[in-house]
Order: sequence, then C-alpha cells, then structure tokens
Amino acid sequence: MEIDKFSNYPFLTRTVQYVADMGTPVDNILTSRSFDITRYRARSRVLQAIHGDIQHDDTVNFTVELLSYAVARIMVSCLNDAFLTRRYSLAEAKYAYHMMKQENNEVLQEIGEDLHIVASVTESGLFYLHFTDYIRGAVRLRSIQWKLVNRILNSGYVSITKEEYARLLQEAVRSRIIDALPLNVPDEFCQALEKYLLEIKASVDISRTEFDEAGFGNVESEHFPPCIVHLISNAQGGINLAHSARFALTSFLLNIGMSVDQVVSLFNVSPDFNEEKTRYQVEHISGSTGTAYKPPSCTTLITYGNCYGKDKLCETIRHPLNYYKRKKKTGSAK
Amino acid sequence: MNPSTVLFLKRKFQGHYKKHPPQSPPQLNQREWGFLMFDPGSGMYRHKAFYNNQEMHEYIQAMVPAHVYHSTAYYEHPSASTMKEKSWLGADLIFDLDADHLPNVPDSYKDMLKSVKNETLNLIDFLLYDFGFKENELHIAFSGGRGYHIHIRDQKVLRLDSAQRREIVDYVSGTGLNRDRIFKKKTIEGDSKRSKVLMFPSESQGGWGKLINRKIITFLQILVDSEDAEKNLIDFKAIGKKKAIKIIDTINSPAQLEQMKNGNFSALSFIPADFWENALDQIIPTIKVNIDEPVTADIKRLIRAASSLHGKTGLKVIPLTLDELSRFEPLVDAVVFGDNEIMINVIQPSIVELKDERFEVEEGRNILPEYAAIYLMCKGAAEFMEVLK
Repeated sequence: MEIDKFSNYPFLTRTVQYVADMGTPVDNILTSRSFDITRYRARSRVLQAIHGDIQHDDTVNFTVELLSYAVARIMVSCLNDAFLTRRYSLAEAKYAYHMMKQENNEVLQEIGEDLHIVASVTESGLFYLHFTDYIRGAVRLRSIQWKLVNRILNSGYVSITKEEYARLLQEAVRSRIIDALPLNVPDEFCQALEKYLLEIKASVDISRTEFDEAGFGNVESEHFPPCIVHLISNAQGGINLAHSARFALTSFLLNIGMSVDQVVSLFNVSPDFNEEKTRYQVEHISGSTGTAYKPPSCTTLITYGNCYGKDKLCETIRHPLNYYKRKKKTGSAK
Repeated sequence: MNPSTVLFLKRKFQGHYKKHPPQSPPQLNQREWGFLMFDPGSGMYRHKAFYNNQEMHEYIQAMVPAHVYHSTAYYEHPSASTMKEKSWLGADLIFDLDADHLPNVPDSYKDMLKSVKNETLNLIDFLLYDFGFKENELHIAFSGGRGYHIHIRDQKVLRLDSAQRREIVDYVSGTGLNRDRIFKKKTIEGDSKRSKVLMFPSESQGGWGKLINRKIITFLQILVDSEDAEKNLIDFKAIGKKKAIKIIDTINSPAQLEQMKNGNFSALSFIPADFWENALDQIIPTIKVNIDEPVTADIKRLIRAASSLHGKTGLKVIPLTLDELSRFEPLVDAVVFGDNEIMINVIQPSIVELKDERFEVEEGRNILPEYAAIYLMCKGAAEFMEVLK
C-alpha cells in the first residue's frame, strides 16, 4: 500500500506506526494554532458520526486527515459515552468500507491481513478465506445470505466476492475501533478540547432523546414482531411452548414494559400451567435475582426454531425489540 | 439409592479408578473440574482445579464421584468462583450427539446407540469435508450414556464466541438454509437465443450443494425405479401423464444424469416449483445432523472426562479414533466390571443388554453378573443386597 492511502485507513498497524514516527507531540496538536484545521476535521468526524455517515472532505490534506482520526478518538474518549462510542466506531468503519470497495485486490488483502481476516484471491477473482475468519465478521451481518450454511464451504474455506470481503473487513474495523475505546487520556487533553466536547455532547444528547422517544411507552401489541404474535397466540391457544420459546416471549414482554402479573396471566391457559412455578420463572427473567434478561436476538430465535412469519421489516433488524421500536416509531408518525 | 448401594458402587468405582484413572484434557491447569457424587442430595462440586495428573487422580480416587466433568473452556484462574474472576481464555469446540435429540430413536439401548453412531458419522463427514478438520483433530468419545462427543482443539476455533459457534451449529443442522439460492431458473445467453434453465448446485461444489444434488438425483431415481413410477408421478400436483413419461425418460438417460450431476436440470425445467419444494422438504431432514445445539454454542460448559465412568450406567467414557468408532460396540467395549454374581433387589422391572447378553428382570430379588447389576443400580432401578461370588 502506498503511503498516500494511510489517511484512509488510520486504524491499520502500519498507519499507527507511521503516525508515531511522525513524532508530533499530542499536546501540540490539541492546542497549537497550526492544528486548528485538524481539530476542526476531528470535530466533523465525530458530529457526522452521531447523525449518520462521515463525509469525505476534499479541502483537507493528508496530514490533517490522518491526525484528525487520532484527535477524534481522544474526543470520544473524553466523553466516554457508550452510545457515542458505538455510533462513532460504526461510522468510521463505514467510511473505511466505501474506500475499501474501490481498492485493488492487493491493497484489500493487505488490510485484511492487518485485521486478521486473511484471504487469498482465486483465479476467478474471488476471495478465499478460512471459515473461522469468515464467521467472525459475517455473524454480525443480518441478511440470510451471510449465514455460513448458505455459502459454499469446502475443506474449511469459503469464497466470497471482493465487495463481500470489504464488507467483512468493515466489521473487523468496527470491532478494532470500538474495542480500543475509550483511550486512557489525561485530563489536560480533554480540557484543551473543551469547546468541541460541549458541542459534541449537546449533539449526542439530542440524538439520544430522539432515540429514547422511539423507545417504549405504552405496550402496543399491534407493533409486535410476527414471532411474538405467533408465540402469544400459541400460548393463549393452550399449546405448550418449548422452553426457549417461553423464554423469548417472557423476556420480550417484560422488556417492553409488561408487568410480571400480566405475563403470568398470559400463560394461565397453558396445559401445564402452574401459577407458582410460572411466577417464579417470570420473576427470575424479570431480574428479581439481580440479572434481568434481554430477549434473544433474531439469530438465536432462528437457531431454536422460534422465528415465525418473518416479514419485510424483519430483514432490516437483528433483534425483536428493534422491530417493536421501529414499528412504534413509524406507527405514531402516521 | 440407599446407603449400602452407594457404598457398594463407590467401592467398585474406586477399585476401577485405582487402576485406571480418568485422562487429563490438554492444558490441565487451565481447566475447571466438576463432580457429582453418589450420595443423594450432595449437589455439584465445582470450581476445582488441578495442577498435574497426580493431583487429579488422587482427588478422584479419594472422593470417588459418580460423574467426572471438566470445562471445555480454558481459564486463567479455573478455580475462581465467578466467571469474571476465572477469566476465559478460549474453549474447545464440542459436539454432543445424544439419543434425546434424534427423531424416531428405537427403544432398545443397543439400537438407539447404533442410530446415534450413524448420526455421529454424518457429522464427521461435515467436519472433515466441509469444515476441513483433519481426522486426527477429531477427538471422538463414547459418552458412557446415550451418545457420543466430539472435541476439536484446533487453534483456529478456540477463540470463537458463542454466536460464532452457533453459525457452525446452523450449518450442520441446515438452519436458515436459503432455498432460493438452491434452485434457480438461470437465463442462459446462447449464440442465437436466450433460454431459461433450471439450475441446482453441482455435485462438485461441496457442502450442502453437493449433498442436495446427490439426494435430489437419488430421490428422482427412486421415484422412477418403482413399479408404479408413472402413477406415483401423476400423484404430484400439476404432473400429468405426458410429463410423467418425460421425467422417466430423462432420469433413465445416462447423458441427462451426467448433466444433472453438474447442476444442469434444464431437461426437467417443466416440472413445477411445488414438486421441488416438496422434494427438498423430504431431503433436507436426511442431510441435517441432529446435535444437542446449546452444547456447541456454550463456551463455558462442563463435559464428561475421557476414561471416566458414567454414574448412571457404570459404562466407561471411551476415546475413539475414527477407525475405532466404526468398529466400536459400546455395550461390549465400554463395560469395565466383571462377572461375579451379585444379588440385587430390583425396584423397576428392566431389561439389560450388555456384553451381548440380555437380562430381563422382574421386581424383587435377582442374581446378575456384576456389570449388569452395577448398570441397574446406577440407573436407580435396583438396590444392592450382597456379593455371592
């Protein structure tokens, strides 16, 4: 990879080393006038990440782009907010993906090697990689085509297209960035960046409120995902649910704000209904013992055969709670 | 289980363990151990760790547990009492094949184990050919109970998390298989014309594609080879006499068959989609492997130790190579106790099939060879009375 590409992939080991070798003192970057543009670009990276995608900026040069990544990470670390860290890591990874898609095979392979998702390129131009490397990225991708079972797996290896390989690398970039945050930054750094931090914090707060408003108010059963509707009708029809199905249903209902009593009464028609036992289990899932359980993700529901009646919205979510949130949001906007 | 039965079984297990202690898994000092005792109500002993074989042997010879387990995981501090303090370092990839998770298992213990062995061999095909593990990387064991375990310790799998392991589970069980990708109508551009042909995965493709190709062809061959082939075909929706004859002719043509092996089913493009859906409904369950799914996805599980005794049968957990597995007779080869006559009081009428013998016992006093008596006592179907020699 040519050095001039380093600013596109600031998270790579080689790039990090390159920046370290530049030897520019951090406090200088955070305070000196000559780095105004760098700090401003860092601020843009973070602000754009909160609301969507990081945009390429043609007006900044190589060094600014390269160093602004480091400053942006310091900003995110100062605020140390889980929501911001998640959003920021995802946006940086997507930003890298757009550039990776356009790289030639060799550059992509070099990035893959650095991210420990090693691939060779076959004669037909496909990327050939070990299944363990494949699933480390693919497991987070929700579309069914990414499931290993839908790939040609031969002697431990799968072949994927260049674009798919870039998409897997995006996941690896996201993990690398989020796993390293927050950085351990001295207070002086944060003080130097205060004016930016206030602005970013305000933006995070607005974004979070929007998110919460889309959260759970009153329980609205017309917004339940099809799997939950199916499980409820089974439970109410007196059909005995498998343990995993019961758990999925109970944890879902508790999470959207139903009370233990309401959930218990739902199971009252089950053939083996035992009020005391049911109440104990529901209370356990609700967290009376100290751990509240989240409902299982779509992947887990599929694995245990509890995914029923998948619809279009299901294609866009990974978790039944998000289905409910989304539907409620669009439902109330009508 | 009454106290004299507990005492007898402990003495017998102890005698065995003095000569043949359980085996250590690799990285013994990073494993947690757990034990269940014969004494009723004693609960599980967990969070034990041993630094060497001798320590483990001495503990087991002294405590004589009914069940001996160790973690599939490697921990920095295996004896710490919370998962957080244990600090997880990785875990073997485990498959548990158990009669409880197979459809239509026969009642007899022997036949049941035979069908689990078959399922195990099917899984091994997936592991060798699809996942590319080497034969010597598959550590197979008879569980001493109702099935088999496979442990894989390849460096590449040790750090996989639970969701990633679930992808492996879904692969072998065919969960989430996207049928739209299996058979599709593909438009082929010819020199002068375009035509739509029906494509299946080819036999050379490997994995699910290969298996589906083979089974679809077998499925068609069986249909066509039957005496009432024409009538059977007409029974399918939207297949009339003309189409039936065309199907029979196609399947009987070696040239067409060769095409189909390559995934080209264009000669059968006239068959309606319903027919193929129906065929897949029948074929997929014969390809998928039934495993105890949560075991594979669990990265902090305890698993029965190799060469330990199973406290509910008295049978030994026997490690096996692939060659040994095909010849293995669990109900002969895993029996470790002798033929001395033991008088027992049978509580539940039972059948014991061990060492090629069959004993049918009614309630009350019975005299059985030691290995059969121990089996019933371990099962809780009998209590010890006395040793007759």
